[in-house]
Order: sequence, then C-alpha cells, then structure tokens
Amino acid sequence: MTALTNARPATTADLGGILRDAHDRHARVRIAGRGTWPARSAAIAPDAAVLDVSALDGILEYVPGDLTLTARAGTTIAELDAATAAHGQWCPLLPWGGDDGSLGATFSTATYGPCSAALGSPRDHAIGLEFVDGTGAIVRAGGRVVKNVAGFDLTRLLVGSWGTLGVITEVSVRLRARPVVDETWSVAIDGEASRARLEAFRRGPLAPLSIEELDGRALIRLGGNSALVAAARAIVKTLGDAEPRDAAVWTAFRASDPKPRGPLGGNTLSDALSQRVKKQFDPRHILNPGIMGEACA
Amino acid sequence: MNGTKGRIERFGPSCVNSATSYFPFVTSLASELSQIVGARHVLQRPTELLVYQSDALPGYHKRPRLAVFPGTRDEAIAVVRALHRAQAPYVPRGAGTGLSGGALADDVVLIGMQRMRRIIAVDPVRRAATVEPGVVNANLTKAATPFGLHYAPDPSSQSACTIGGNVAENAGGPHCLKYGVTLNHVLAATVVLPGGDVVQLERHSESETGYDLIGAYVGSEGCFGVTLDVTVKLTPNPEGICTMLADFTSVDDAARATSAIVAAGILPAALELLDHGTIEAVESSIYAAGYPRDAAAVLLIEVDGALAGLDDDVTAVQRLCRECGAREIRTATDATDRARLWQGRKKAFGAMGRVAPHLAVQDAVVPRTKLATILARNAEIAARHRITVCNVFHAGDGNLHPNVPYNGNDPDEAARVHAALREIMEMCIAEGGTITGEHGVGLDKLGFMETLFTGDTLDAMCRLRTAWDPERRANPGKVVPMHSCREWLAAPGAHT
Repeated sequence: MTALTNARPATTADLGGILRDAHDRHARVRIAGRGTWPARSAAIAPDAAVLDVSALDGILEYVPGDLTLTARAGTTIAELDAATAAHGQWCPLLPWGGDDGSLGATFSTATYGPCSAALGSPRDHAIGLEFVDGTGAIVRAGGRVVKNVAGFDLTRLLVGSWGTLGVITEVSVRLRARPVVDETWSVAIDGEASRARLEAFRRGPLAPLSIEELDGRALIRLGGNSALVAAARAIVKTLGDAEPRDAAVWTAFRASDPKPRGPLGGNTLSDALSQRVKKQFDPRHILNPGIMGEACA
Repeated sequence: MNGTKGRIERFGPSCVNSATSYFPFVTSLASELSQIVGARHVLQRPTELLVYQSDALPGYHKRPRLAVFPGTRDEAIAVVRALHRAQAPYVPRGAGTGLSGGALADDVVLIGMQRMRRIIAVDPVRRAATVEPGVVNANLTKAATPFGLHYAPDPSSQSACTIGGNVAENAGGPHCLKYGVTLNHVLAATVVLPGGDVVQLERHSESETGYDLIGAYVGSEGCFGVTLDVTVKLTPNPEGICTMLADFTSVDDAARATSAIVAAGILPAALELLDHGTIEAVESSIYAAGYPRDAAAVLLIEVDGALAGLDDDVTAVQRLCRECGAREIRTATDATDRARLWQGRKKAFGAMGRVAPHLAVQDAVVPRTKLATILARNAEIAARHRITVCNVFHAGDGNLHPNVPYNGNDPDEAARVHAALREIMEMCIAEGGTITGEHGVGLDKLGFMETLFTGDTLDAMCRLRTAWDPERRANPGKVVPMHSCREWLAAPGAHT
C-alpha cells in the first residue's frame, strides 16, 4: 500500500483516473465536499488521502416545466435552493445542519430533516446519479425522468452509502412546487392531552409539513394553497397559546440538532449481504474506510 | 465456477442438448420438491405447464421445465434451498400479469407464489400491513378499508396482480403520480436469497444508516431473491376526491394541457391520457365508460386530498384544460360514476383484445415538457410503418404506453410493428427518456438496455446482482444482457 497525495479533480474523468490509480495501489481516500461532516470524517482511517470533490460543481440542467434538475455533486444546497426558488419550485431537502453542505454529501449521507416525513427524504428525491466506484469505473445510474425502473436501482443503493460504494459526482433530483403559503407557528405543549391533539393533527387530513419540539413548545410548519393553510391554521389556533413565528426559526433549529451528525454507534456494514455489495463496488476497501463503523485496520 | 456452469448447461434455456440427458435429474428434483410442498403442487406435464408459458404480454411463450407452488414460508425456503443444492435456475412468479416477460421460465423451474396469500397483519396505528407475496393488490386495499386506509400503488391489473410481483417489478399505476410507486410504500421485506439464506430487509425510519438494500431489492425483477413477506405502508383515504374527464379535439392539446398542469405545480392524484384509438376500443367493449367517441383524446384527472383547498386545485386544472382547448370538462357525480370513468382506463389493455389478436405494449418515460412533440413523432413513425398506435398512459409522469394492436400471425405486419416500436423507443431515449417506467425490463426490453446505459453502468448492475445471487440462478437471462457482465465473461468456459 502506497499513500496517495491529496487531490482536487476538475472532471469526473479525472476523478476516475485517480480512483483507478488508488485501487491499483491499494491507497485509501477520504472523500471531502464542503467540509460539513468533521465528526464523521474523524472515523476514517488516518492514512487516507483527501479527495476533494468541491471543484465538481454547478447546475448542469434545469427544465422548470419538467420539475427535474441535474447538478454536480459539489453544488451546495443553498445554490440549488436559490435556482429553484426563482421558479417557485424546490427540492425540499431541508436537512439537519444547514444549506451550506454539498449535494454529494447530502445524498451520500441521506441526511434527512424536519420536513422529510411529509415531503420525502433524499432517497425519495434522487432520480439519477453519476458516481465513480472503488475501481475507478464511471457509472451513470437512473436518469432524468421522474419514473424509471430500467435495470437494477443503483441510485437507491448509493444514496446513504456514505461514499463507501462510490464517489457521487452528479445528482438528478425531482422538484416540487413550493407551497403557495408556508408559515410557522409555535404552540404550547401542556400535558398528555395536548400531545394527543398534536398527534391527531399530524395524522389528520390537514397534516402540516413538520411538527417539532423546541424549548418545551411545538414548532409547526404549515404549507399548501391558501384555503388549505387557512383550515390548518384554524386547527393550530385551537391547540393553545398559538404564536406566529418567523421562517428563520427553522434555520436555527436545523443547525441546533447535533444528533444526526454525531458519531455512529456500531458497525452498519455488519451483515453478509452489505459486505458482499461492498466487495463488488469497492473491493479493496479504499473509499472512506471506517466511516460506517466498519473495521479499517 | 466450472462445476456450476456444467449443471446450468444441463438444465437451462439455450444449451439443452437432448431431452434424455437431464431427464433423470429433473425427475429427482421434482420428487424432492414434491416432498416439500406435496405432489399436488408440483407440475411437470407439458399440458399442465401450458398456462405458465406466458405472462400478460402476448407474443412470448416459454415453457418451464417444472413448476412448484409453495404454500408456506417454510416451504418456500425449503424449495429455494433444494434448488440451490441442485444448482437449478428458477423464476419466481406471482399472478403472471407482468408486461415485460419477466416471469417467463425458459425450460427452468418456475416458483409460483400465489398460494402464499395470507394477510398477516394490518396495523391501523402504524398504518402498515404485513402480507405474504401472493396477496392480490386489490385484496390488500379491501382489508385496509375498514380502517379508512388503502394501499396506494394501483397497477391497472390490481384485481389480479400480487404484492410479491409488484415488489419485484416496482409496479406503478395511475395514482403513483401523487403517492409514489411501490418502492415508496415498502417498509420491510423478508427474502430468501438464491443461496438459501433468509434476510430481513428494513427501511431505517429515522437514521438512514446502512445500505438501502430494500431500495435495491424492490424492482429487482426476481433476480435477487424470493419474497417471503412484505410490510407496506397504508395510506389514509383522502377526505375529498374530484374526478374529471376533459375532452380534446387534438392529442397535441391534451398533451399541452398535461404539461401546463405539471408546470403550474399542481399535483393531481392521477393524470391519464387516452387517445382516440383507445377510446374507440374501450367504448366498443363491455368496459364502456361513456368517453366521448368523437374526441381525439381525453384526460382523466383526479385531484384529491383535504376538502379545504381542493376546490382551488380543481378550478386551476379546469382553467388550464380550457386554455389548452378542452371542449368539455365533465366531473364525476358520485362514487359509481367515478368508478365507471376509471374502469374504462384500467381495462383499456383488455379492451384492445377486441381490435386485434396481439398487442405490443411499451412503457417509455419522457420529460413532461416534451409530451406533445413526442406524441406527434410517435404518430409519424406509426404512419410510416403502417401500424396503429393506441396511446393510454400516465401523462402526469410522462410515462407513455404506446400500444400496438396487430396480427402476430402476419410476419410482415409483426416485423413492421417491431421496427416502429424500436424507432419510438430509440427516439424516447434520445429525448432524455427511459425505456420503462413501471413494467420492468424483463425479456422484452433487454435489447434497449445497451442504448440506454453505458457498458460500465451495465457492468455495475451485474455486480449488484452478483452480490445477491453469485451463481446467477435467479431469473436467468433477464434485465441486464448477459454479455454486459464482465465477471461472467471472464469466467472459464463462458464463451463456449
């Protein structure tokens, strides 16, 4: 095993060359995007060279009428959000942490957020990917249309694989229309009866985008057309001590929860099937070794 | 590897030498399987196997060598393990309603799952149900109805198709536009791998750590294992539903209306397009739904959700349809009327049976802004090849179903149909689309895979398959062309 020098490839082809070389030399790499995952990266074998993919950035294709978008992995969530907001659309990732992370990291880690239960997780938003596996092969999984069952689903496999099966270089996502009305309320949580009412609201036909607990109160995000939100708002006002809140509260709230970015408990690649999958895509265990809690001596 | 391959040659599709060479082997396998499931549930006489030589896609006939029907989870595991010991290739099958030839067993063993049809549990609090793979899609919704819930993915064959088959194909349906395809509804599955191991695949609800093996499994077309049970999400019935039929004098207008509705950010529960040829077939059949026979196309649009806010979406849909030239927009008056409008759509494939003895079915998906252009080019291609294309499809997803009724006994006509459909599919790929949105690749679309994907991508799919089925005995010859698998090509004797 000979160590690799740190690299910042400018194209997918360059990245392919680097990983082919790394594979040949049994050299390990730590994939880095915008540097938003320091705690988890600390679990990676210390001899791994840094493979910085942040130069692979920018939106490649966006057809608002199709509600689909393709961007390079180094593009930040904030950039995606700004581009789609201009057309009244969004890819509602809204992950824990913030919008400074790259799409590559967000999809590699399948980072969800407070609206994921209502609006879908990264696994639901991704419709296609380009990635380079641990042998340097460039794979283009899925596509750019919203419904696709052609071949085995490599997109789903890669999303949430923490870079251990391949380095994501490009992501295609499905978009949605932004809710015409998007507003936030805070209500008091006062005992079991109050929690039961919140739960009934969450499960009911006027289900909000999100209900989270903050400082002993419930933070509720409503979204939809004006008539729908008006009806939901009427319910919120019966929940007790309802106060309107600024949307910015979510940014702070998402940044405040360290749990999803903390260290991993245990080995998530312990089962035989996951290990066989790993062996097929990164036979020499060179990609982010140790990040899923697996042994990497 | 050599030993394995030798057995497959004695017991496989294209490499069988003579009937006698493998006959004793099949007989001993059949008797072993009979001991597991009972002799009644093993078929080996050609006349008995006749019904299993086709699925719902006319034109393909492949006869299994024998068929076995496990009745319980333990029997299914024992069957797969016996096949593993015998190194025998096999194809799992649900109700045989697939439209890509995926469940055809070409001289290999067929494992029919339809006897395993217990609904194990319905949990209204968790909004989930656990079922055996042979449960019919519509029966699951029936079981959920008392709780105000339903199973959302609704393939047109839902009165017959099984959940196991739906999982294998990642089946869609009209209402998947809003509610998502099968994959979005599967929470967990127990699977017996081709090597005989039983694995529990689960969706990690909160922390999505670990590989999404369930995401890889759903839609693997029977190549990764046999499903023993599935846990699926149940969806609350919507408070309000409004079903509309918009009538257009040109297909182009209907396609433009679809793109306009999508672009406006409205998410109907379903948005289906039926063209004149389809309307004629439906209205002449027992499934007549009252579609206007003089329309060039109709859009069947369903908007659902909370009562509050529903009217706004309905009004917007109607306005966009009118702006694009809709002649009339009829709204279903009650549940019976709605069911009738839907029946015409859901039975459209069946209704085509009146038109010609054979039906070629395609399943392309295209970018939704290009619907009108692509439909016009489809019509051009069809005219040039002197064939009739009847369109009935999930317009809201851009998921086309160009169907061609034809007489397969006329070799010239069959050749023209084949050539036209190939041209249509290649055009859809060139326009940024894909070759299947919900039917799967199976056998039928195998020939398009190399146009759609690079060699490295197909090889990556082969490698994923190898992780699940190192011996390549599960549904052999389907989904990915064998010659795109490098490891397979590198195996000793692979070219002989």
